[in-house]
Amino acid sequence: MDEKRPLILIVDDVAMNRALLSDVLSDKYNIIEAENGNEALLILREKTSEISLVLLDMVMPEKDGMEVLAIMNKNGWINEIPVIMISGETAHALIEGAYMLGVTDFIGRPFDEMVLKNRVSNTIRLYQKQKNLSDLVLNQIYEKTRNNSMMVTMLSHIVEFRNGESGMHVLHINTITEMLLRELLHRSNKYQINKNDIGIICTASSMHDIGKITISDEILNKPGKLTPEEFNIMKGHTVNCAQMLNAVPVGKDEPLMKYAYEICRWHHERWDGRGYPDGLKGDEIPIAAQIVSIADVYDALTSERCYKHAFTHEKALEMIHNNECGVFNPLLIECLDAIADRLVTALQTFDWSKQADKDFYDIADAMMNDQNHPIYNQAFRQLIDERKKCHFFEYSLNGILFEYTFTPSVIKLSSKASQKLGLPRTIIDEYKPNEEAKDVAENLEKIRKIIRRKSTPKDKPILIKQTFNIDGQSTPCNVKALQIWTKGSNDVPVLSAVYGHIDISKQG
Amino acid sequence: MTLSEFYSSLGESLDEVLERLRMESRVAKYLGLFLNDPSFNELKAAFAGNDAKTAFRAAHTLKGVAANLGLNKLSASSSELTEDLRPEVFTANSQALLEKVEADYVAVVAGIKQLEQ
Repeated sequence: MDEKRPLILIVDDVAMNRALLSDVLSDKYNIIEAENGNEALLILREKTSEISLVLLDMVMPEKDGMEVLAIMNKNGWINEIPVIMISGETAHALIEGAYMLGVTDFIGRPFDEMVLKNRVSNTIRLYQKQKNLSDLVLNQIYEKTRNNSMMVTMLSHIVEFRNGESGMHVLHINTITEMLLRELLHRSNKYQINKNDIGIICTASSMHDIGKITISDEILNKPGKLTPEEFNIMKGHTVNCAQMLNAVPVGKDEPLMKYAYEICRWHHERWDGRGYPDGLKGDEIPIAAQIVSIADVYDALTSERCYKHAFTHEKALEMIHNNECGVFNPLLIECLDAIADRLVTALQTFDWSKQADKDFYDIADAMMNDQNHPIYNQAFRQLIDERKKCHFFEYSLNGILFEYTFTPSVIKLSSKASQKLGLPRTIIDEYKPNEEAKDVAENLEKIRKIIRRKSTPKDKPILIKQTFNIDGQSTPCNVKALQIWTKGSNDVPVLSAVYGHIDISKQG
Repeated sequence: MTLSEFYSSLGESLDEVLERLRMESRVAKYLGLFLNDPSFNELKAAFAGNDAKTAFRAAHTLKGVAANLGLNKLSASSSELTEDLRPEVFTANSQALLEKVEADYVAVVAGIKQLEQ
C-alpha cells in the first residue's frame, strides 16, 4: 500500500523547518524536500503528476516562494498541484500576493500541528476529488468520440455492404473530404467554415449515401445499365435521405445534422446546374456537398463497382478535369490537384482508429483550452506528449516494432515492420492473410505466438530467438518483448499490452 | 533543568508550545537542532559584511524558527529587525535591534545548553 501515500514536496531553505514539517506529516505522507526555489522547480518538472501538495516557504535564497509560484503559474502546474504557503511573514501585501498567485492556503508561523495536518489532508482530498472528476470527464469524451465515429462508420457500412461495395468507400470519402477541406481553407477564406467544422463535415460525409437504403435491391445491385425509370428512382436516394433526416426528431439545430442534410441532398448537384435533385448551380450548392461530390466521384472512379472496372488515379484525375463526370467548382479542382500526390498514400494507409484518436485530441484540446471551463489534467497532457514522442522515435528509428493491446484486441506494426513482414499496419483478430501468401501467414502466427507467450509479471523484457520470413528468406531474428501488466479484480495481475522489437541478427 | 523550567527561565510558556507541537520529546529535539541552525551566525556575518539583503533573510528565518519553538522574545526582537531591514538597507536603528536579538539569542542558547546537560 506504500504507493498510495500522497507525496508532499516541502520547500524551505531552513533544515530545521523542513525537518519539523516532515516530522509532523511523515506518518501519513511521503515527503520529498527542496532547499530552495530552483531545486523545487526541478523536482516539480520531473514529478508533476506525482506530487499531491507543495508546502512552500516564502523567503528563500536562489528563487523565493513568490518566484516559484510565478513559474508554477506559467507552466500551468498551479492548476493541478495545490500549494500551501508556510511562512512567518506577516506583511499583509505579501500574503495577499501569494493568494493572487494561486496558493490554496497560507499558514503563518508559529503553526499548530493539528491545524497543519488538517489543512494538508483537506487540500489533498479536495484536489484528488477534482482530478478524479476531470479524469472521468476525459474518459467519457474519449469513449463518446470513439463510439460516435465508430457508430457512424458502422451504420454507413451497412448501407455500403448492401450495395455490394467494399466498406472502404465511406472511409475513403472521409479522408478525401478532410484533405480537400484543409486545402480549401488554406487557399481561400471565401467559405464560412472554421477549423472545428472539419471533423463534423467528415463525419457527416460518411452518411452521404444512407438514402440508398430506400432503393430496392434489384435497382441498387443491377449489373447492367439502368433504364430511365430505374435511374429516376435511383436519383431519389438524395431526396429520400433528406426526408429521413428531416423526420429525425432530435438534433435539428446541430451542425452535424445541418451538414449531413446538405451532403445527402446535394452531393449529386453539379457546378453548371446539371446535377440532381434540385439543379442547384455554383455556390448555391453548399460547400460541404460540393466537396463530398468530388470526393465521391474520385473514389467511385478509382474503385471497382458492379457496373465498371477501377480506373487509375491519373485516369480518374483526367476524367474529372475533362468534366466527364459533370462539372465541378474550379477552385475545388485546384485543391484536388494540390493534394493529388498525398492522396494516393493517404488512402492506402488509412487507419480509422487514428481518426477517432484525432477527433478526441481535438475535442479534449478544445476543452482544456476553454477559457470558461478549463479542464486541467497534467497526466493527460503528458500522455499526449508521450504519444507524440513515441511516434517521433518510432519514425526516426525506423525499427521493426509491434505492439499489442488486449482490449481491443489489436496488433499494430511500425511501417518498417509492416513492410518487412508483409502484414498490414493494424491487424484485428478476424484478419486472415491471403491464402497464397504462406510466408506472411507464418509471420503473423509467429507474432501471435510471442504475444500469447505465458510468463509471470515482471518489468524486464523477455528475449526470444525467432525466424521470420523477410524478403522471401527465412531470417533469424532476436525479439525483445515487454509485457505490461495491470491489476485486475482481486489484485490478480492481467496482461494488458505487449510491446516488441524485432532485430534481424547479423549474418555470418 | 526540565523543559518546563527552561521555558519559565526565559519568561516563556511550555504549555503554549505543547498546544501546537503536541510532544515534549519533539520540542526538546528541535531545541537541540536550534543550536545548529546557522541563521543567527549568518545574520552576524551579514552585518559584518554590510549585506542588508542576506541580513533581512536571516532575521526573517530566525523569527520563524523561534516562533515555532515558542521562543517569543527572540521571535519578537527578530521580527522588529526583519521589518527594519525589509527595504534591504541598514538604518540608524539596525545595530541596536541586532544587539537586542543577540541578547535574546544568547539567553536561549545558554538555556538549551543547560537543558542538555
